[in-house]
Amino acid sequence: MIFNSLTFLAFIAIFLPGYFLLKGKARLLWSLAGSYLFYGWWDWRFLSLIFISTLMDYWLGLKIDQAHEDKRRYRMMVFSCTLNLTFLGFFKYFDFFINSFAEMMTSFGINADVGTLGIILPVGISFYTFQSMSYTIDVYRKHLVPERDFIRYATFVAFWPQLVAGPIVRASDFLPQFQKDHEFHWDRVISGTGRVLWGFFKKCVVADSLAPFVDQVFQEPNAFTSINLLIGIVFYSFQIYCDFSGYSDIAIGFARILGYDFNENFKKPYFSQNFSEFWQRWHISLSSWLRDYLYIPLGGNRNGKFSTYKNNMLTMLLGGLWHGANWTFVFWGFLHGMYLVMQRQLGKPFGAVMNGLRFPKALKVTINIAITYFFTCFAWIYFRSSDFGIATDMIVGMTNLDGYSFVSMMNKFWVVKGVLLIGILLTVEISDTKLHWNGLAYRNPAFRIAAFATLLLLIAFFGSFGSGAFIYFQF
Amino acid sequence: MGLLENLFDIQFEPLQNGRLDDAFFFCKGEKLVTVAVHDIDFEGLAALVHYPVFLGSEAFVEVLNLNTMKKSFWIFGTIALALLVDRGGGWFLSKITKESQFRYSRLYNGSEDAAVLFVGNSRGLSFFQPYAEEKTGLRTANLSYNGMPIELASTLVQDYFDRHKAPKVMLMDLSLLDSVRMDNKLAYQFNHYTPFSGRLSKLLRERFSNDFYAGKLSHLYRHNSEVFQRTFFYWKKSDKDWLLDRVISPEMKANVGNQALLRFHYDNKMLGHLAKMVKYAQEKGTKVELVVNPYYPDFVPKIVNLDTLVMDVQRTSGVTVRRYTNAVQESAAFGDFQHVNKVGAKLYIDQLIADGVISSKPN
Repeated sequence: MIFNSLTFLAFIAIFLPGYFLLKGKARLLWSLAGSYLFYGWWDWRFLSLIFISTLMDYWLGLKIDQAHEDKRRYRMMVFSCTLNLTFLGFFKYFDFFINSFAEMMTSFGINADVGTLGIILPVGISFYTFQSMSYTIDVYRKHLVPERDFIRYATFVAFWPQLVAGPIVRASDFLPQFQKDHEFHWDRVISGTGRVLWGFFKKCVVADSLAPFVDQVFQEPNAFTSINLLIGIVFYSFQIYCDFSGYSDIAIGFARILGYDFNENFKKPYFSQNFSEFWQRWHISLSSWLRDYLYIPLGGNRNGKFSTYKNNMLTMLLGGLWHGANWTFVFWGFLHGMYLVMQRQLGKPFGAVMNGLRFPKALKVTINIAITYFFTCFAWIYFRSSDFGIATDMIVGMTNLDGYSFVSMMNKFWVVKGVLLIGILLTVEISDTKLHWNGLAYRNPAFRIAAFATLLLLIAFFGSFGSGAFIYFQF
Repeated sequence: MGLLENLFDIQFEPLQNGRLDDAFFFCKGEKLVTVAVHDIDFEGLAALVHYPVFLGSEAFVEVLNLNTMKKSFWIFGTIALALLVDRGGGWFLSKITKESQFRYSRLYNGSEDAAVLFVGNSRGLSFFQPYAEEKTGLRTANLSYNGMPIELASTLVQDYFDRHKAPKVMLMDLSLLDSVRMDNKLAYQFNHYTPFSGRLSKLLRERFSNDFYAGKLSHLYRHNSEVFQRTFFYWKKSDKDWLLDRVISPEMKANVGNQALLRFHYDNKMLGHLAKMVKYAQEKGTKVELVVNPYYPDFVPKIVNLDTLVMDVQRTSGVTVRRYTNAVQESAAFGDFQHVNKVGAKLYIDQLIADGVISSKPN
């Protein structure tokens, strides 16, 4: 089930009243049933996968807690992680590695015609696997007391707002929130509704309006002139941002209405002044997960420069692979790893040059944001391209300076609409730092009515409906 | 306050401004922190809850909620305001739709009387109106649109004949009969014209019922389409010169051998729509000319079932098809393999005039 569908509208109309009418165990069961329905609507067969994963981690969590020996606890934790990663590896990466192996053998002149299994990727598997792993690791680290109530634990794993595309919630943050029944609060409804509407604006209005242009350009870059390719990549940077952060906004908003608090997943990432900052603002739940469960256990920045660079690179490569079974994602991760390394090397000298030239602060900030955005977009080319050939065509096409005539623009109406919508988005985001729209909507009813009505009208007038799922579902 | 006092087991003290119902309370152990909502928004609240001092503790937050009914009024206010602006905005946009100089606005406001009517998809735009009018001295109308499905074309043509004097001749490009290259969802983009046409309303109700009824609910939604954007763009200026004027790139020309074969995908239903359109025009006294507009010369061998298509069309419509597939030979006269540019359109129209298909005195 996807948020931007009539089915979901019907789901929420039934789920919400039931949720607030029921209390205690009945509410948990209602939430679990709703979450399984939400997930099973896409393909009910994969419910068994999520159920087995839940059952195993629930049991292992208890076993880890009961074990007194450190070695035994450790073995249990490793077993849990292996199990989770085996599921993930099989469903997401099996065919990919088989294909890559066959291609490698072919390049050595060995015919390795190994058949793939044509495995269907279960929606959201990367998200709930990481969520589940955080539980057993936190129990092992004694950061969390294991949950003894299976229904509560299963609801935590499958909770529908964030199940298929995040944010990746941590057990230590989220499980305790199931300990009590959350009352219906208008304040939460106000705040949550605002967030949901803003999420729908980002998804249905901005992301889905940019999608047709982006899809055409990345389908066959050779057929388009440089200006189209350049617009295509800029549009894609906003499409993926609005698609993914829009989903997070909707998830956070609905969770808030239901009484739960999720951590923020995006904080205006394209205003980052460097790549470390970018990763503190982009897909925060994943980057912080990788930091806490991968980068720091690897040694983080504690063992000298080389080790830090190595850990940075390894984390980003795996972060890239997490997104999908394609070498283009790995290369995207590699680029971001390189950016982080280069930033450590060149960041200070570059800042010193700007200081030496006595650039005003505003200019320095602008230059830093522009550079970060430029390189982020460059990496997006690989992220979006289905293979390296397409990415190369995109880059070569853009550097062909003959093709920047406005006459050759593919569809000016799409471009004008896209630029207008990106303009609205940026205006709201920039002004939010001073005006705090959410707070204003909370405490000023007249403004709230005007703002919510405006969002509804923008969605009706500019929204693109029926264009399908969120991009991050495939991850 | 009793409920909260019991819950927290602590004595509350009123804030200085006395507005206890508008405050957040944080409780950590026995220490109570009160923050007025004027000092903090919900994002800030979420940030505070996750602030390190609260992490790992039994911190929790309660939001006072004493005046429930009053707080629900904003929902009705939001809906009322949204409906009001929607209706006002819808009325204004409908006025623009009616006044626009876009081809379909002219169709529906009855100001498009013409001697020659062109119909097609994006290839139909090669019936370049300014040049045709200059050379023949006749008024022309063009109902072509990118990816036009034949069912929609049939609806528009019939609506045209119902609202205008019958043209002397109607030219139709046969590439309309290709279900692969047509935009099956195009019809719903004509939602903003449904108030002006029962026939179009029926088509949308049958094919895109969700969009049709959503357009009834929200009048702004009815105008949510690229076709409306064009309607707006051509509010004060004519769209008669609408033709993508670019020249095919050397890379594209060199790549012609690698192009996939072009096969027209059509069925009896589509042929039926075409026959219906032809009959409707003929009954009004209009001569119908069915043509195949030019393709890039080296691309023509890639078309695999044109002969079958022509035979099927002739059999169903009773009209002889004129083939102009190779009418334009200059490569610089094409924008891509399937579309002439302005230069090509002029050459093509010269050929149509020379053949007497369109002239100041059509046969």
